[in-house]
Amino acid sequence: MLALTGVTKTYGDGVGRVTALDDVSLHVEAGGFVAVCGPSGSGKSTLLNIIGLLDKPDAGDVSLGGERVVLAGRAEAARLRNRLIGFVFQSFQLLPRLTAWENVALPLFHRGLGRAERRAKALAALDKVGLSDRAAHRPDALSGGQRQRVALARALVGEPALVLADEPTGSLDSVSAGAALDLLRDVNERLGVTIVMVTHDREAAARCDRTINIRDGRVAGEAA
Amino acid sequence: MRAGPPPAALALEALTNLRGQGARSLLALLGIVIGAAAIVALTNLGHVAQAETLKRFEQMGVDMLVLRGIPAGEGPVRLDRETIERLPASDPDVVEATPLAIGRDGVRPLNRRQVAEEDAMIVAVTPAIFPVAGLDVARGRALGPFDACVPVAVAGSVVARDLTAGQAVLEPGERLSLAGYVFTLVGVLEPAPLEALSPVDYDRSILIPLSCARRALAAGDPTVALVRLQPEADPDRTGPRLAAALGNATATVSVRSAREMIAAMKRQTGLIARLLAGIGGISLVVGGIGVLNVMLMSVMERRREIGLRAALGATPADIRTLFAIEAAILSLGGGTLGAALGMSVTVLFSLLSGWDYVAAWWIPMLGPAVAVLVGGAFGLYPAFAAARVDPIEALRAE
Repeated sequence: MLALTGVTKTYGDGVGRVTALDDVSLHVEAGGFVAVCGPSGSGKSTLLNIIGLLDKPDAGDVSLGGERVVLAGRAEAARLRNRLIGFVFQSFQLLPRLTAWENVALPLFHRGLGRAERRAKALAALDKVGLSDRAAHRPDALSGGQRQRVALARALVGEPALVLADEPTGSLDSVSAGAALDLLRDVNERLGVTIVMVTHDREAAARCDRTINIRDGRVAGEAA
Repeated sequence: MRAGPPPAALALEALTNLRGQGARSLLALLGIVIGAAAIVALTNLGHVAQAETLKRFEQMGVDMLVLRGIPAGEGPVRLDRETIERLPASDPDVVEATPLAIGRDGVRPLNRRQVAEEDAMIVAVTPAIFPVAGLDVARGRALGPFDACVPVAVAGSVVARDLTAGQAVLEPGERLSLAGYVFTLVGVLEPAPLEALSPVDYDRSILIPLSCARRALAAGDPTVALVRLQPEADPDRTGPRLAAALGNATATVSVRSAREMIAAMKRQTGLIARLLAGIGGISLVVGGIGVLNVMLMSVMERRREIGLRAALGATPADIRTLFAIEAAILSLGGGTLGAALGMSVTVLFSLLSGWDYVAAWWIPMLGPAVAVLVGGAFGLYPAFAAARVDPIEALRAE
């Protein structure tokens, strides 16, 4: 499903040269729910950006959904992200002036779908996360947990191969965080969506099938 | 692979974004509106003023020629009166021709002691002057063929007023002292608009029969001829021919045609119109900087949104187009509104100043056209800046 082989990424030159990822190889099976764990500065974010096709590795290969990803340019990368990846961001990243369904439909807008089709798919995605009755609300009329569900619906709406969740519980209280993890788990099991969750929350990681630990730019071990 | 959203969808999105920015968008729009209004109003005003100037010229007729003798020898200019008066018969292009002898002298009504002597232009004419120069008589009569050498005079409107010194109006029948002779006033002219081509300011003149000129004027021979041509005659060809016919040992003859002066005047007023348009252009550039400001602010404030859209699959070209359309909407909308405003201002100005309102078809187009040019120039930079936003950095900032 997702495979990284020998991925290396460095920033800067000369003395200021920092190796963020050093020969990282990992594999996530289809339908898996995997946590990527590590302290800040471990290279976790860089890994996330590379998996999310927001950044290019200096060396090594990324394969998504069975095909090797070649990032020819920014436009090409954007189209691949649109098709292959659903993002769930730490702070939801909903646009305040759009309603819930319009927020959910944003990836479809950039895919070039018409409004009617966008709306139908967005409502279906909201239904999957149990928020169909909030479709016409703007984010400021929703609770933190509800916003996170809208964000998850947006990640699912384009039927991506992979949902990438970046600290999805980081902005939530423990009750909402628990609910958000339940929802991710539920989506993973019910819809068979592959999820990679980046977190530094051990408790959250414990809810996943598998945890990949990153330390100093290397895979430091895995726990089932 | 599917292409991005079609332009229509991006345009709709841009419109929504602009509406979302409320007052900010309105202020940018206002800048463009005022700039476009200025350029349209000033250009149109230039146009109206040009038309007004030309109208004055065209009142005297485009078929008018002024032939003026320039001294060629030692003595004074003496054009031949007979030759001039025979021109309508001898030249097929000439409808009417009148010789003029021009001098200055003091003039005073004999029966009004309290009135001081006024300095006036003394113009010796033949009766043909009235139709040729378009002069109308307010009171009394014009000079006629029977006035050949009778000491009679017709006064211009301003001279007639000045000679009363605020007393009762000058009436036909009064006697005027003029160059030591007594002339009988037979008529007073209507005010005649001063024409640039005319050698005489009729309002400030006393007209006397040409046959009396030798008595009343130092130089009694004609020095100028006014000629009205057939409408289809070409003044550029007829003029030199007439000049050659009138030239003699005392004078060479220069020709000035109304058409030629109108062309010169058009060039001059055109220059002023362009100057005015230039001033309007400056205000439009200021408006364009307003668009630049608003769009750059918008890009900075919406960095997160841009980053998010990029992460979710918007290509740099999509984002660039989105912002370019926002700038284009501001420019085109502002330009159109500004054109309407500018035209209204000009109409109002024309009404207030009593000028005829005229507009060329291209003047209202000027607003949106130049606004889009300026808006495009100033809107492109923010659009490219937006497309360069890196989603990783934009989404990290909290």
